[in-house]
Order: sequence, then C-alpha cells, then structure tokens
Amino acid sequence: MKKWERAEKGGFQGNAFQYCAGNSPIHRLGAGWKIILAVAFSASAIAAREPWMLVGLLAINLAYYLSAHLGVMNLWRDIRFFLIQMAIILVLYLIKYGFAEGLWPGLRTGCQILLLFLPGTVLLRTTQGTQMMRSLKRIMPERLSFLLFTSLRFVPFFARETREIAMAQRLRGAPVGIRYAWNPVYWRDQFQCLMIPLMVRALKTARSAALSAEARGFEEPRRP
Amino acid sequence: MKKFTLQEALCLAFCACFIVITRAVFRLHLNIPGHAMFFTMFFLILGRGCVPRLGAATLVGLLAGLLCTLLGMGKGGPLILLKFLLPALIVDLAGLFHNGLAGSYVACAIVGALGAASRFLTIIVVEWIIGMEWDLILQHAVISSACGVVFGVLGSLMAPPIVRKLTAHGLIASHPA
Repeated sequence: MKKWERAEKGGFQGNAFQYCAGNSPIHRLGAGWKIILAVAFSASAIAAREPWMLVGLLAINLAYYLSAHLGVMNLWRDIRFFLIQMAIILVLYLIKYGFAEGLWPGLRTGCQILLLFLPGTVLLRTTQGTQMMRSLKRIMPERLSFLLFTSLRFVPFFARETREIAMAQRLRGAPVGIRYAWNPVYWRDQFQCLMIPLMVRALKTARSAALSAEARGFEEPRRP
Repeated sequence: MKKFTLQEALCLAFCACFIVITRAVFRLHLNIPGHAMFFTMFFLILGRGCVPRLGAATLVGLLAGLLCTLLGMGKGGPLILLKFLLPALIVDLAGLFHNGLAGSYVACAIVGALGAASRFLTIIVVEWIIGMEWDLILQHAVISSACGVVFGVLGSLMAPPIVRKLTAHGLIASHPA
C-alpha cells in the first residue's frame, strides 16, 4: 500500500493526541457524549484504589480506545509520556519506602494518572475540531467564540507569514532556521529578526480584521 | 474581556495563534522537556506588552489553551487549558503590581520563572486528587518542571527588547520601565 493511501486510511497519525479520521462507533458518537464519558472515566480513575478496580478500569479504557480503531501504534504514541511519568513516580516511591512497601503504591498512582488522562486522548483522537467547535459554540460567549475561530482561521496564515519572513531574513544573511535554533547564542538575533516583523504584521492584520468585522456589523447593538 | 477593543482582542488572539504555531513547529524538531514554556511565556508577556490592560495575558492563555485542545496538541488532553491559564494569570497579576512589566528584564525574568513554575500547580492538583503524599508530589513536580522554569525565564527575557522596539516605533502604547 502506498504511503498516501495508508495516510488516507488512517488519518493523520504523526503526533500524539491528534485527530485520526475514522468511522468507528466512537467517531460517530457526539462530542458532548464523549466529554461526559471522559469525565466519568477520569473520575473513576481518581476513585479506584483496589487492584481489581484498576485492572477493570484499565481494561475498559483500553477497550474504549481500541474500539475507536485507533490502533496499538497510536496508543503507544499517546501513553509513552505517561509511562515515563509512571517510572519517575515508581522510582520515588521505591526510594522512600523500599521495594516491598513502595511497589504497589507507586504502581497504583502511576496507573491512576494514566487512567485519568487516557479518556481525554480518545476524545481528542476521535473528535474533529469543527465538531468540538460546534459544542463549544453553544456554551461560549459570542465574542470569545469569534476570537477563537478567527485565531484558528489565522493559524495557517501566520504559519505561512513566519516561513516567508524567515526566508527573507535568511536571504539577508540572518541566523534564522532550525540549525541555529539549537544554539542559544543566536536566540536573541533570531527573535529580533522574526518577531518584530511578525508582530508588525499581526498588529496590521488585527487592525484590518477588526475594521472588517465592524463594517459587517459585528457587535452592533440589535434594533428592536 | 469586554473592555478590550476588537482590534486589541484580535491582537491578543494572534499572540495565542503564535503560541500554537511555535508549539506545532518545535514539537517536530526538539525533544527537550519543557521547551514549550519558552514560547508560552514569551507570547504571554508580549501580549501583555502589546495590550497593557488587566486580563490581556489571561485572554491569550485561554485562547491558546482552547486552540491547543481543538487541534489536539499537548499532553493531558483538555487539561492543557490549565497549563496556559495559570502562567497567564500570573503574568496579569504581576502586571497589576508592575505596569511596565513587559519592558523590564528583571520583572520579566521573575514572572517567567513564576509562570513556568505554575506547572508545579497542575501536577500538584492532579496528584493530590489521586492521593499521593506531599513530599513525593513535590519531588515529582520539581523533577518534571525544572527544565520548564529555565526555558520560561529564557523566553520571558526575549520579550523586553521586542516590546521596547515596537514601542520605539510607535506601534504599541509606551510603558513606564
């Protein structure tokens, strides 16, 4: 199977917590229901203290995750950070209480933290931004939702602007680029070269976008 | 939030936009823990510098958190909101005491350290709810956030020269240093 076909089938799978396209029952479930489920599972993780409770909850969470057809690789991408956290917590418990007394509380706490966050990752993996926006629109003030959607709309615009500014500065000989980003000596220069033109652009765009929205009657008092 | 003009609010929204963009760009190239704090603190302070009013940084933090949630970025799912809101609240709180915060290196370094250290609080809240012991919670919080504090301070130190230049060119209102 070609690379693009695999990508088409599995959605964008590059990073952890990012939406994966699919047609599983979890994908079809409404965003509101998924939020309720995430809160319920996370609350259960806090309450669970006994080993059988944690094992049961882990099984339910894994079933919930895998029933979204996200696959084991995505599961690994999503939980690897929490596994590191688990290891740190376990080591701290072992240092404090020794092996016999520290093992179970360390494992339990690490597991609880993993189970607290796992339902949220299913929500993010299976819910498109637009779907979540529709749910948020119902509960957010009009101005805040306008700002949120405007900034979301401008993410690709400013990403493009940043690239263009970086390219222009590089052509002028400025130390801009990932190669220089590793060296703190260049950080100040990079910031001066990139951020000032970018902020000037942002201030200009904000002015024209505000004028445009006001011209279209945004926030005008409604007449009776 | 209502007291901001639409132009000011949009400018702050764009600062949130920049936090998201830098987060997206650097997660692909750098694998250093806590490096995201560099840009978070930088843009929170820059937002406050561009719109020197109470609530400016909070609005940037709120929008950045919501954007990251919508775009599925960051560890911890929807709880990522807290990671932006707490440092933003600290920046605004500091702005109450120091009007020219964004133009002063010392104030920015202190706020950057405090803001980045607010990640302690997120870890503490989660682990306290779970029932971990205090000394272990504190040790874990220090281990997990130490790098973030360093990056937070460095990021916030980048803000004053930018704010000063923008002020000098008359692009933003002047701040008493």
